Amino acid sequence: MEGLSAFVLAIILVGLGLWTLIERRNVIWKLLGLNVASGGAILFLVAVAYRPQARPALLGLGPGPTADPLPQALVLTAIVIHFATLALALAYVIFLTEHRHTQDIHKLEREEE
Amino acid sequence: MGAVLLCALTLTLAAFALTRRRLLWGVIGVGAHSLALAGVYLFLAAPDVALAEAAIGFALVTFIFLLALRRTGRLVVAATEVYPLLYQEGDKIAGLEWEILRRFGQWVHRDVEVLWVNRADIPRLLAAGETDLAAGGFLPREGATVLLSPPLVPTQLVNVRCRPGPVGAVAGDRGQDHLPPDGLTYEDAGELAAALARGELGGAVVDLVRLRQWLLSEGTNKTHFALRDAEMTPLEDLAFRFALVPHETELHQALEEFLKTLASTGELERLITEHLQ
Amino acid sequence: MKWVARTAILALLSLVAVGTRHLFPRPDVAPWQEPTAQYGAENAVAAIVLGARLWDTLLEVLVYALAIAGVKMALGGLGRARPLPPVPETPLLRRSADILLGPIVILSLYIAASGHLGPGGGFPAGAILGSGLLLLALAKGVERLSQELHEATWERSEYGAIAALLALGGAFLCLGFPGSSFLVSANLLITMEVAIGAWVVLHYFARARGEV
Repeated sequence: MEGLSAFVLAIILVGLGLWTLIERRNVIWKLLGLNVASGGAILFLVAVAYRPQARPALLGLGPGPTADPLPQALVLTAIVIHFATLALALAYVIFLTEHRHTQDIHKLEREEE
Repeated sequence: MGAVLLCALTLTLAAFALTRRRLLWGVIGVGAHSLALAGVYLFLAAPDVALAEAAIGFALVTFIFLLALRRTGRLVVAATEVYPLLYQEGDKIAGLEWEILRRFGQWVHRDVEVLWVNRADIPRLLAAGETDLAAGGFLPREGATVLLSPPLVPTQLVNVRCRPGPVGAVAGDRGQDHLPPDGLTYEDAGELAAALARGELGGAVVDLVRLRQWLLSEGTNKTHFALRDAEMTPLEDLAFRFALVPHETELHQALEEFLKTLASTGELERLITEHLQ
Repeated sequence: MKWVARTAILALLSLVAVGTRHLFPRPDVAPWQEPTAQYGAENAVAAIVLGARLWDTLLEVLVYALAIAGVKMALGGLGRARPLPPVPETPLLRRSADILLGPIVILSLYIAASGHLGPGGGFPAGAILGSGLLLLALAKGVERLSQELHEATWERSEYGAIAALLALGGAFLCLGFPGSSFLVSANLLITMEVAIGAWVVLHYFARARGEV
């Protein structure tokens, strides 16, 4: 039950985030959408790792089904890298606002032509 | 059961955040969504991931978004680009209104920051507090709930007709009030001029300053729309002003006072003749 | 053109939704107990992050440092025409920051040092330490805190931490695994790296957009 609802949530979150990424014209809104979509992708991997009635993969918790530790280890670093790349993207948004005076992607693109 | 409820909460928060029109609510909503998402990870037997998501996704990401939105000590001006009034030259901003705004920034001890936006977005940006002022050939629409500065530059709204066809105007501008029901609206003056040049439109409702800009640029970049032979009907005498949110009475008073001093020293007149001769 | 992207997204998502049914019934988890004990850990995730996939982690720490360097480059040249007056001291915030800072530092060090035994590890610990610095910055103002902390030294020690991490990891990848002592030291180094990186991001953002 948990696994299924997490899969559904992950797919909807990715859809919501990518939708915002396409529809909004403000670059900060686009980055917010990307943030939500990346959360959905991470949730998908965590849901893949889950097993029914599983417990965390720790020694000393005794026998019983456990979650798969490999996808969890993969997304752990992904979260941190996501923060760093997001900070880089926002730094360039600030840079653009100072030099091009707009956050509207259409105006930025027209200026480049 | 708890996991399903938490999933629903996460989804609601994300949907709430991404459908807001105000950026601040979006950022706060996405932060709350991250915290709920960390709870979902706990249910999925991933305490390491939950800890990282709560510490990074909730605290640090939300905070850098808030810092990117922040504009302490700045006077943010939402503006549309109009050639002699407020326009961009390379990395710099220039024009008559820019000279006034720059001096006003020194008067109130704040850095002025101009943000190019669409004319139709200005009332929303002002009301949401994302910008302090609106400028760049601002002509208020009927029934607009904004505070207006004293008139800066007098102008006239005219109906230009080159050939038979529909009439266009800039969306959200004063000209939209004068459009017939079959009139078309465009995002900004540049797109309006391009539509006129392509022959999509038979005429346009614009002010004299934008018309002058089109006349000056005619022939330079493939914008032949035979404006010189066009028929012009004056519609309304107006003046360009700055706009503020209704509750910014202090800033409004400072602006009025500043413009009064500028006019009494003759500086305003000098600037107008310098930029609009 | 937008409708192409919209259709592509819908198609992709429905493809993923259809594909998930192959995940059921779920296969058994590969035995992880024995390798985890071999690496000297009790938390399988820590054993994978700092053992089986050590190269991955080391290079991701490098990516993190590169992104932070990119933030410095993008925002380094941006200044304000008029520097802001210093943040006035608010006694309540100042006192609560003083009281909370100690526990936060201890908590993050505990999470880092016990990362191989239970949930935790260097990455969340670094983020918690970064939030602690953020709390202090709220009370004191970013500029003053950066002067008091001798930020230049910290930035140099960030590169020191990366170098030490790479050296440690490289040595153990060549010489074989010594056990939990490596896990603890690597976690502490990662904590240092992540916390200093987070602080640098906050400082540069605050300098470009106004005090916190």
